[in-house]
Amino acid sequence: MAKALNTGLALAMGQDEKVLVMGEDVGRLGGVFRVTDGLQATFGEDRVIDTPLAESGIIGTAVGLAMRGYAPVAEIQFDGFIFPAFDQITTQVARLHLRSAGALTMRIVIRVPNGGGIGAVEHHSESPEAYFAHTPGLRIVTPSNPADAFAMIRQAIAHPDPILFLEPKRRYWDKAEVDVDAPLAALPELFRARVLRRGHDATLLCWGPMVRTCLDAAEADARDLEVIDARSLAPLDLPTIVESVTRTGRLIVVHEAPVVGGLGAEVAASVTSECFYQLEAPVLRVGGFHAPYPPARIEDVYLPDLDRILEAVDRAMAY
Amino acid sequence: MAIDGGPELVQLLTPEGVLVGHPEYHLELSPQQWRDRYRDLVMVRRLDAEATALQRHGELGLWAPCQGQEAAQVGAGRATRPTDRIFPTYREHGMAYVRGVDPVTLLGLFRGTTLGGWDPADHGFSLYTVVIGDQTLHAVGYAMGIQRDGTDDAVLVCFGDGASSQGDVAESFVYATVNDAPVVFFCQNNQWAISEPLERQTRIPLFKRAAGYGFPGVRVDGNDVLAVEAVVTAALDRARRGDGPTLVEAFTYRMGAHTTSDDPTRYRTTAEGEAWKLKDPIERVRAHLVRSGLADAAFLTEVDEQAEALGVHMREACRAMPDPEPTSMFDDVYAEPHPVIDRDRAWLAHYLAGFADSGRGH
Amino acid sequence: MLQEFRMPDAGEGLTEAEVLSWRVAVGDVVTVNQVLLEVETAKAAVELPSPYAGTVVDLLAEPGEVVPVGQPIIRIDDGRADEVPAESAPGSARAGETDAPGAGPAAPSPDRGTAEPAAPQRQAVLVGYGVRAEQAPRRRPRITPHGVDHVEPGPPGEPARPVRHGGLELGRTLERRLGDAQVLAKPPVRRLARDLSVDLAEVVPTGPGGTITHEDVTRAASGEHVRHPAPTAIAPAPVEGGSEVVPLSHVARMMGRAMTASAFTAPHVTEWVDVDVTAMSALIRAARQRPDLAELTITPLTFAALGLVRAAREHPRINASLDESGDNLLVHRSVHLGVAVDSPRGLVVPRIAEAQVLDLRGMADALGRLVETARSGRSRPEDLRGSTITLTNVGVFGVDGGTPILNSGEVAILALGRVVARPWVVDGLVVARDVVTLALSFDHRVVDGALGSRVLRDVADFLADPATALALG
Repeated sequence: MAKALNTGLALAMGQDEKVLVMGEDVGRLGGVFRVTDGLQATFGEDRVIDTPLAESGIIGTAVGLAMRGYAPVAEIQFDGFIFPAFDQITTQVARLHLRSAGALTMRIVIRVPNGGGIGAVEHHSESPEAYFAHTPGLRIVTPSNPADAFAMIRQAIAHPDPILFLEPKRRYWDKAEVDVDAPLAALPELFRARVLRRGHDATLLCWGPMVRTCLDAAEADARDLEVIDARSLAPLDLPTIVESVTRTGRLIVVHEAPVVGGLGAEVAASVTSECFYQLEAPVLRVGGFHAPYPPARIEDVYLPDLDRILEAVDRAMAY
Repeated sequence: MAIDGGPELVQLLTPEGVLVGHPEYHLELSPQQWRDRYRDLVMVRRLDAEATALQRHGELGLWAPCQGQEAAQVGAGRATRPTDRIFPTYREHGMAYVRGVDPVTLLGLFRGTTLGGWDPADHGFSLYTVVIGDQTLHAVGYAMGIQRDGTDDAVLVCFGDGASSQGDVAESFVYATVNDAPVVFFCQNNQWAISEPLERQTRIPLFKRAAGYGFPGVRVDGNDVLAVEAVVTAALDRARRGDGPTLVEAFTYRMGAHTTSDDPTRYRTTAEGEAWKLKDPIERVRAHLVRSGLADAAFLTEVDEQAEALGVHMREACRAMPDPEPTSMFDDVYAEPHPVIDRDRAWLAHYLAGFADSGRGH
Repeated sequence: MLQEFRMPDAGEGLTEAEVLSWRVAVGDVVTVNQVLLEVETAKAAVELPSPYAGTVVDLLAEPGEVVPVGQPIIRIDDGRADEVPAESAPGSARAGETDAPGAGPAAPSPDRGTAEPAAPQRQAVLVGYGVRAEQAPRRRPRITPHGVDHVEPGPPGEPARPVRHGGLELGRTLERRLGDAQVLAKPPVRRLARDLSVDLAEVVPTGPGGTITHEDVTRAASGEHVRHPAPTAIAPAPVEGGSEVVPLSHVARMMGRAMTASAFTAPHVTEWVDVDVTAMSALIRAARQRPDLAELTITPLTFAALGLVRAAREHPRINASLDESGDNLLVHRSVHLGVAVDSPRGLVVPRIAEAQVLDLRGMADALGRLVETARSGRSRPEDLRGSTITLTNVGVFGVDGGTPILNSGEVAILALGRVVARPWVVDGLVVARDVVTLALSFDHRVVDGALGSRVLRDVADFLADPATALALG
């Protein structure tokens, strides 16, 4: 996936000279996950910028660049470090298009490696999507596989709205076939979910790192489970989700982020409204517990895994 | 990039191990103190090397090496009093060592068995902070608390050249200066913030930033344990007197990688490292000890053996570290009982007990 | 004792590394932290130091080989006696501290119990992350049966009942006490009960945890009194030769009740007309030739539906209901077209909601799905109610028409007969044309002959030349 992102970035930069890449260690080093590897050598220091160590500065200056007509692709090196930039993202990036009555375009992509399961120290395993999904004016997408990563980074860069691009870091080394010649217009829609596996008994809705986990769970279970990759977290592709739940009658949302106040709650409320008479069970959520991300030695207990997901399926089916 | 620290660099012991004077800074160490400093430096280097190796063994998920920065940390740590409070980043293993923190305690954070690992009050040494720069504000606030308590304790807060760009650090300078807070800002400028060299963070030497905020800054040779201790002592005294903060920039070099996940060969030359090896902090002390007759071969051997024993101790203790209990993730999230915590803890315990096999494999 | 060193994750989440070169050979004596080999990861080239002192016994990977994290790469004999793996602390059995030469990958710690797990477990080799098991992921077996957390003894004299902790989302326990006045039924069941006019409080629950099931409701519906006072059937006189008792299905009983209610409340008038639909037949044949329409079934019913819906839009008062007081006509804004279908359960009348928005393709598609769903018995309760006007295709049975009875609550129903070649007069000559009979019944309380006739005529005109009508709007 890291290579797919790298290829997509290079393509986008080659096609549009206004596209910039900026962040800590993205230039000479090529990024701590090598996602921006080689870009500075190809496109130069003016377009691939090693920024001073300040997240608020990265996003704030990206805003200014966007005002000037550039399309910055800003990287926040790790999910847990996005918070110094929280002010710029929520009060500025999300609002300037509105406040300027459309005169200012915030064509900014904020790339963030996120999620856990890599044995890291504090603040390197977070899933902060709920904070930003709660902010009107922002869009959020997250690829779960290399092919989507390649397509979605290009689409996000081309899109005029500010997009938080969450990259599941524990899937960076996943490999898959990617059609690098696919033209932009032929790619699947950016803000749509995808049904990966059709089923009849229950729907598992997931995104980012949890997609593979849910597919594994569906494979390992005798019941007929439908798996949907949400892909877009803001806006959520409710029609696809609703269509699925209308058929299966049961929905389990799986995410790494803590359940309390997590995005699963938004899905549950929306789906309950739309599918009340089709629901055979309440919408269940599987996610992190109400504690800060734990020490790496017990992160596997905290993160949803195959067993936790299937346990929730058990509960849903018992209704 | 600059190898030498410029004309304003405070140095008391040259790389060759020769004592030199300085108009403003001065420190006399007894023979025993010299030998203690030497032992500290060797132990810290060994501690760091052992932890790095443990990561390569698969025992730690990560380690942030402090190789090359031993003198900066030992010198500054030795300048502090037991009742002072130190706010480290995540690389101050040398400072932890001289403050009495068992090196094994440091490993827990990197092994993933704890999110903290010690009580700051035990050794006056705060928990490591992984978010860059946050601790500088904490340090100033703590110093403001000392002021209100009326004692002459002081605070030493560490941050790096990269951190100097963070908003929190700039804000901490503001808060410290307008409050005359008893804090010493100890910046270990090791020339690199992962792959970004100093020039990406600043246009002027970092110690000069303080002037913009209205307090003094001084650059010291970070590889000179004597000079660091002298300068930091002076700065702490200033703080205790109520004269406010000082920025001490320890000019040093990150000999190793940013962390064990990093590959420095991608962005810097080995020639640079070779040049800095000539300024090794331990070598110059050894040279001084030997030349001045402060230590004999037996002493040097004894120190090496102590380092070896430390290595063995760290390896064995690390491997023996128990994994935390799964439900421990809920302990101490809050100070008071909390219904959601109770619910989650009960559910997790119930869920884990429901497996037909034992153990946690899955 | 033989120690194994397994490929570590050298950089936070790496999954594999390529062996670049060995720095030691079999037989070499190595010390702790001596560099054994150099590997290349996705991030960096890394030297790996030895965790053990001893003699190299085996190199388990070749230069150039890509080794997954967690796989053994070297075996070293540390010169110590083989030991029973007593005191390895939980979770510390990592990075090669196996308990016996060549022991299985899952190095057990004391609290794991069995030494050789039956299925390959996740081999947590290193801090936090570790390697997925080689086989397809499997679920760990659970003690408690699915969804049931414990079995509670029932009240004296009653059997034990399982108590479901159904609301166990992250530990939130919703204990439902059986026996209180609360009715337990899921939303789909409650809706069904409402549709069938069943009072849930009087239903005997047979579902788990005392919940009312779908079947409980439908069973109760068969015993319910119908709101409309309907004349009951006259007791039939016995017939010579005896008679077999065939219980009527639920659907059949419901149909009976509905028909009774309708027929004996609304004064029915039926008008009919024969239509020359030769042009429509030609259009249907043309449609069948089109590959892009291959998936759709376009039939006379399709056009009859379109025609009726158009007529209902043109004459809104035919798309209406008389309210309970009998004083007001509820003219419906949408046309929800009921279509009578013969299903395995009997006659059902599912509806196409918002039929007024459908064009030819849309109507063909909707009808196709509706009929298929109904014939397979899968019509949903909400689709079996709420129609505003109904169409019944008696032509499929080979008859021309009749006097259809209104679908309860509506004021009109159209019967479509069979399309059959008949003699017809065209330009003064008798020729064979495709002819169909349309029969419209309407509620003469609110629809007079003029309206009914106009509606019928409009449908007939549409069927006579649907292409022109559709083209011109």
